[in-house]
Amino acid sequence: MDYILEGFLEAFQLLISGHPETYTAIFTTLKASSLSIIMSLVMGVPLGFMLGNFDFAGKKQVRAVVDTLLALPTVVVGLFVYALISRRGPFGNFELLFTIPGISIAQTCLVIPIVISLTATAIEGLDRRLRLTLMALGAQGRQIAITSLLEARYAVLIAAITAYGRAVSEVGISMMIGGNIKWHTRTITTAIALETGKGEFAMGIALGLVLLFLAFVVNSLLSILRRRS
Amino acid sequence: MSDTPLYEIKNLRYSYGGSFSLDIPSFIIRKGASIGLMGPNGGGKSTFLRILSFLESPDNGEIFFEGKKIEKTSADLKRHVTILLQEPYLLKRSVFDNVSYGLKIRGQTSGIKNKVHEALNWVGLNPDQFSHRRWYELSGGEAQRVALASRLVLRPRVLILDEPTASVDKESAILISDAIDIIRKEHDTSLVIASHDLIWLNSVTNEIEKMYDGKIVRFAKGNLISGIWHPEQNGLWKKTLPDGQQLIYSVKPPHEKATAVLDPSEILISLMAPQGMSAQNILKGVVTGMTIENNTGKVLVDMSISGMNLMSRITKKAAEDLRLIPGKEVWAVFKASSLHWH
Repeated sequence: MDYILEGFLEAFQLLISGHPETYTAIFTTLKASSLSIIMSLVMGVPLGFMLGNFDFAGKKQVRAVVDTLLALPTVVVGLFVYALISRRGPFGNFELLFTIPGISIAQTCLVIPIVISLTATAIEGLDRRLRLTLMALGAQGRQIAITSLLEARYAVLIAAITAYGRAVSEVGISMMIGGNIKWHTRTITTAIALETGKGEFAMGIALGLVLLFLAFVVNSLLSILRRRS
Repeated sequence: MSDTPLYEIKNLRYSYGGSFSLDIPSFIIRKGASIGLMGPNGGGKSTFLRILSFLESPDNGEIFFEGKKIEKTSADLKRHVTILLQEPYLLKRSVFDNVSYGLKIRGQTSGIKNKVHEALNWVGLNPDQFSHRRWYELSGGEAQRVALASRLVLRPRVLILDEPTASVDKESAILISDAIDIIRKEHDTSLVIASHDLIWLNSVTNEIEKMYDGKIVRFAKGNLISGIWHPEQNGLWKKTLPDGQQLIYSVKPPHEKATAVLDPSEILISLMAPQGMSAQNILKGVVTGMTIENNTGKVLVDMSISGMNLMSRITKKAAEDLRLIPGKEVWAVFKASSLHWH
């Protein structure tokens, strides 16, 4: 049991002293997941709005596919994106494999169903009087869409935060697409996996604490937003 | 009033859910008009108002607004009309942002603060106190008035209100009337208002139309009496009220559940059961309300007769002579030939 206690003490030392390797993994994680969240919001929110707002043939089927993709395993995403961006793949020329943008693209594939599904649910849940009220006040087309999204802003933020929580804590994609390269693509989760394998608990525990702290922040924001919405 | 009608409706038809349909062959609203719509729930008032405010399109027929035919592309024309729905919705923003929304989407941002404050004053809300309040910090009546202010601030050519006083306190109802008066006087806004509150409706509109079963009834303030009608001797038809009193009509109904229309002017009011009269309908009831009819100066008396509401139109002098007050027992008297089938 002593080695666990020592691991915790050493972990605090690493965090307090600003241990470069530990902080590089933290910043790499934040960079990759922030980029993936921006991309998934830019694409996912309009798609979610369309799915929630419009009636079209096959809507139920599209919804079923999106909801199924919520449970997408990270290694499956990693596998497909690896195949697409590796040298032999159709996007090999972009040299995205083992880069942070590469991780972000794969994470975007992982979390965009969350953004689409939760945004669609938020739009579907809007008060039926909203649209008539906006039309009565003279809003048209894009104005109605933007105001509807603003009315559902808390629910859309919940979608973003949920997606961020998923991106920041996944390990499969970061390992397969990032390659766990020290100082370069090593993220919190891949570093924990590696250090634990090496029997180096201190850095693993330090990164684990940071991950738990991030999860705590994410969940606190979620509960605040749920109350407001 | 100008000769070009504000609205001209031709052969309007609208179906909803298979069972309900709106059917208005012809209807004109003049510029500057102030029209009240009354009638039972499900009679088509709200649907008609949504069509007048261009929120819904009819299945058939044409609507001309200020002489121009309304098409899907008439977006700018449609912006001259605004409606306050029966259950108003406030955006999840501050009061100021709610009231200024319509101006902002029109790009009319110059002097926006003054305009919003003026509109809030019209509806009796102090801008300093209310501008920054959030949507959930308002009572029902305040929310209704904020919703009204967000329409008034647009200075619309037509303001359409669907049951604006249905869920507000008395003070809010008065403040809403005052705000409507201001917008009419200062901006010559035309009004179309649906309400069950006849007394209030009569105080804010110049003419009242009655809607029943998707149609505008011929007698604006007519009484509608639905069957079941049973045949009597001598070719008469009767309807029995819950307390046993009977209505008699002299013309065969199209079917036993047919609705008869009775002009309020045909109903006399007596304080005692009249003797020796030829009228076959002498019904005992209670006065439930009285109001002055704006365009005739006559008094409209609401009565409850065995749960059925009847309205009579009498002169002011008659009302004074009879010393009518709500709660007074009276007899409504009319001929069997006064009814007409709807």
